[in-house]
Amino acid sequence: MSRRVAIVEDEPAIRENYAAVMRRQGYQVSTYKNRREAMAGFAQQLPDLAIIDIGLEDEIDGGFLLCQSLRSLSTSLPIIFLTARDSDLDTVSGLRMGADDYLTKDISIPHMTARISALFRRMEALKEPAEAAQTLICGSLTMDMARMQVTWKGKTVDLTVTELWMVQALAKHAGHVKNRQQLMRDAQVFVDDSTITSHIKRIRKKFQQCDPEFNSIDTVYGMGYRWTQDKA
Amino acid sequence: MFRWFRPGLRFKLLLISGFLFSIPWLGYEYVWEMEKYLRAGQEKTLSGTVRAVATALHERPKLFDVQASYRSLERGRDLYAYPIIDPIRLDGDLRDWRLKQHALHYGIDNILSQSAKYRPSTLSFKHMVGTYKDYLYAYFDVADDDIVYRPENSLLVDKNDHLQIAFTTPAGDFRRYLISPYSAGWLTPYEMAPTDSEENRPLRPESRIQGSMIETDTGYTIELRIPLSLLSSKLSFAITDFDTGNIEPMVTISTSNIWNEDELGTVLVPSPEIEQIIKGLGHSSSRIWVIDRYQRVLAKAGDIKNVDGAWSSTNSEDPDQSAWRRFEQKWLHPIYYQFLTRPPSDFIDTLYDAANLEGKHIDQALTGRSGSSWRLTEDSRAVILAAAYPIYIDDQVMGAVIAEETTNGIRTLRNQALEKLFTMMLAVMLASTVGIFFFASRISTRIRKLRDQAEGAIDSRGRIQAPIVASPVQDEIGDLSRSFADMLKRLGQYHNYLENMSSRLSHELRTPVAVVRSSLETLDMEDESLADSVYLQRAKDGLDRLSKILTNMSEASRLEESLLQAEKSEFDLAELLEGCIQGYRMAYPQVQFDLRATASEPFDGAPELLAQLMDKLIANAVEFSARDASIQVNLEQRPGSLQISVANLGPTLPADMQDRLFDSMVSVRTGHVQGQEPHLGLGLHIARLITEFHKGQIEIKNREDALGVVVRVKLPMNT
Repeated sequence: MSRRVAIVEDEPAIRENYAAVMRRQGYQVSTYKNRREAMAGFAQQLPDLAIIDIGLEDEIDGGFLLCQSLRSLSTSLPIIFLTARDSDLDTVSGLRMGADDYLTKDISIPHMTARISALFRRMEALKEPAEAAQTLICGSLTMDMARMQVTWKGKTVDLTVTELWMVQALAKHAGHVKNRQQLMRDAQVFVDDSTITSHIKRIRKKFQQCDPEFNSIDTVYGMGYRWTQDKA
Repeated sequence: MFRWFRPGLRFKLLLISGFLFSIPWLGYEYVWEMEKYLRAGQEKTLSGTVRAVATALHERPKLFDVQASYRSLERGRDLYAYPIIDPIRLDGDLRDWRLKQHALHYGIDNILSQSAKYRPSTLSFKHMVGTYKDYLYAYFDVADDDIVYRPENSLLVDKNDHLQIAFTTPAGDFRRYLISPYSAGWLTPYEMAPTDSEENRPLRPESRIQGSMIETDTGYTIELRIPLSLLSSKLSFAITDFDTGNIEPMVTISTSNIWNEDELGTVLVPSPEIEQIIKGLGHSSSRIWVIDRYQRVLAKAGDIKNVDGAWSSTNSEDPDQSAWRRFEQKWLHPIYYQFLTRPPSDFIDTLYDAANLEGKHIDQALTGRSGSSWRLTEDSRAVILAAAYPIYIDDQVMGAVIAEETTNGIRTLRNQALEKLFTMMLAVMLASTVGIFFFASRISTRIRKLRDQAEGAIDSRGRIQAPIVASPVQDEIGDLSRSFADMLKRLGQYHNYLENMSSRLSHELRTPVAVVRSSLETLDMEDESLADSVYLQRAKDGLDRLSKILTNMSEASRLEESLLQAEKSEFDLAELLEGCIQGYRMAYPQVQFDLRATASEPFDGAPELLAQLMDKLIANAVEFSARDASIQVNLEQRPGSLQISVANLGPTLPADMQDRLFDSMVSVRTGHVQGQEPHLGLGLHIARLITEFHKGQIEIKNREDALGVVVRVKLPMNT
C-alpha cells in the first residue's frame, strides 16, 4: 500500500506542484487548503506524513495549531513545516510543537523528497532490527542512519532530519573542519550562514540536554565546525 | 541684528516685567493727585477758618476806629509797635532788642528843620518801637559826630542835643515831652507846655516816661518806654542836634511833625483785645493774623512752624519699633527720600514785615473778597497756604483776617502714603519679577529640554535614536512635546517600515519563487527531454540568484532578531581573527591576507556575531580590492577599547557616502564590480548592527594614502 502524504498549503500552485511530485514518487497525496479542511480530513483518516504551511489563509499561525492537533492524534506521525517564514523564532516554535523538520519554501524539490523518504525510512527502520553496517560510532556518539536515530552515551538525542545529516557530516570526518557550504550540501539544505549557525546551536543544545558536559562540536571562527571525538 | 547677543526667553520676560516699574510711577502720580485734592480741601478749610474768625470780628468798631481815620500810611511817619517777646532792660544797651531788623533809618529825608550847615554825617538815627506788657518801648541809635549835653546850669532845655516826644492821650489831649540829658545815663523827660508857637516851655518832669542813654563810638543810643495807657494812636519823635559852638540847632530829624497835633504820625499797637478774641476762638492749627486796612497787623496768634494744617493731628503715628519698621527706616526710606522731600520742621519765613502784610489774598480781602494764595518760604523748604477774609464794619472793609498754614501735614500724609505705596510696590514687583523669572526659567528649561530631546531623537544619519517622552502638561509646550513625540512615532513607524521593507519583501516574494521553483523542478522531472535544456538551466540559475537575494534581504532582520537573544562570553578576539583569516585564505585564495593582532586581553562579546562582522568586512574588502592585492587586518589594543581595522587597496569612496554606507540598502557598487553574487548593500548595515550590539563604533574611510578604503571598528572593553 502506498504511503499517504497530506499537504496543507493555501497557495494552490505550490500545493499542486508538490502534490504532483509526491504522486510521481508513488505516494498517495491528499491536499488541503486550510486548517478546517485538513482537520476534517485527518479526522477521517490520518496520513502517514504531513507537510504543513504555517500561514493558512486567514490564520497566520494555523499551521502551528494544526501541528498541535495532529500531534495529539499521533505522536509518531512525521510532520514537516514548509513555510516562507525563515526567522529563528518561527523555526524554534515549529520544532517545539513536535515537527520533525522545518523547511523554508526555497528548498528544492529533490531536497524535500530526500527528507520525506528519509522520514519514511526511519519509520520503517524502527520496526526492524538494527543493521550494524548502517551504524556510525564515534566516541560516545552512535548514529543509526537507517533508523535515523542518534544516541549519545546510550541516550537517544531527538534530532530532525536536517540536524541528523549535519551531525553525520561532522562526525563522519571527526577532527576535520567542515565549512558551512559543506554542511549545507550534506544536510541537503540551501540556507544562509546564520541559519547554519542556528542549526548548530540547536544541535548543541539538544546534546547538552542529555549530557550537560557535551562539548564535541567546536566552532572554528571564519571556517566552520569540527567534531571532536570524545574518549568514550 | 546682534549676532553676538541673542536674548533668551528669560531675558525678554524680565525686560517686559520692567514695565511693572511704571506701577509705582502711576501710584506716585495718583498720590500727587490726591495731594492736590487735599490741598484744595485745606484751602477750603482755611477759608472757613478765616471766615469764622472774621465773623467774630465784624461790627466791632471799637477795635478798629482808632486807626480808622487815617487816609494813608507812610513808612517812617507811621510807626508800628512790634510785640517784644523778651523784656527790655532800660540801660541804653540795644543788644536785648531782637527785632532790630525792623528798625527804620531816619536821615536826610526826615528833616523837620535845619540850618544851612547840615551835613548828613551830623545826625541820623535808627529807630523802632515795640510793645512789651503795658509799655511802649522805643530805641534810638543815633549817629552824631558831636554830642552836646545840657549844661548843668542851663535852664534852657532846647539848646543842646535833645529828644522830643509828641503824642495824643486816649482822652484826646496833645502832649509834648522833651528829654535833654545832662549826661549819659538815666533820663528824665519834661512835659512841655502846649503852645502853638514852636517854643519849649517845660512844665514838669514826667516820671511815667523813663529812658536811659549811653554813648557809643558813633554817637549815642537811647532807650525809653511810655506806658500804653498814656498813648492813643498818634505818636511822633524828633531828635535835634546841636554842635559845639553853635547856638542854633544844626538839624532836627523827626518821625513826623511834632508841633502840630494833626500832623503827628500814628502808632499802631497790636490790639490785645483782638488777640484775646482770636485766642478765644481756640484755633491753634493755623497762624492767624488780623490786619487793619492798611495791612498792619493788629493781632497774631499761632506759630507757622507748629501749624501743619487740619491734618496734623491725624498723622501722629505710634512709634512702631518693630524689626520691619526699623528695616524700612534704615534701608527703604533713604531710597524713597531720594525723590521725596521730608517736610521741614524748621524753615525761615521772613517774608512778612509784621508792620505791613502784603499778598494777593490780602489785597483781595481788603477789596471785600475772600482770597487765598500759596507761596514758598524764602528758603523754598515749605509751602505756606494763606487765606484772607475781610472784616466789615458798617459795610466797609476795615481789616482782614489772614490764616496761614503750611502744607506739612499734607506732605507728611503724602509721604506716608508714598512710603506705603512704594513698599507695597517694591514687594509686588519683587514677587512678580521673581515669579516671572522662575516662570520664564521653567518655560525655557522645558523648551530647552524639548529641543535637546528633539536633537537627540535623530542621529546624524537621520536614524531615530530615542523617542521623545511626551509631556503630560496641558499647555502649548506640552502640546508641542506631544506633537513632537507623535511625529517621531510616526516617523519611527515609517522608518521601521522602510527598514523591514526588505525582509517583508523577501517574505512576500518567497511564495511566488517557490511556485516557480517547484514548477520548474516538476517540469524537469516530468519531461526527461527538458533536463538538458539550456533554457531550463538558465531559469534555474536565475531562480537560484533570486533565492539568494531573498535570503540576503531577510538576513538583516533575522540578525536583529538573533541579537535580541545573543549571549556574550569572554573570548580571545585575536584567536577569533586568526581563525577567520585562515578561513578567508581558503575562501578567497586569490587574495593575500595580513593579520597583525597585538591585543591579548579577553573580550566580552558574542564570537559568532563578530565572526559574522568579519565575514561582512572581508567580503566587502575582497570585493573592492584590486586583483592580487592584499588585505590588512589589524587588531590593536587601545586604552579601554579594541580596534579592528580592515584595509584594502582599491577604489576610494565618494566623499558624501562615507557615513551612509552603513545604512540598509546603500551601496556604492558600480557596474564593473558587479559580480556573480547579488548585492543589496546590507553587508555593512549588518556590520553596523553587530558593532552597535557591542556598543562600539564603526567607520569607513579612504586610506590616508588614498589608495583604498579602511574600515575601523572600535569596540569598548567591558569593565
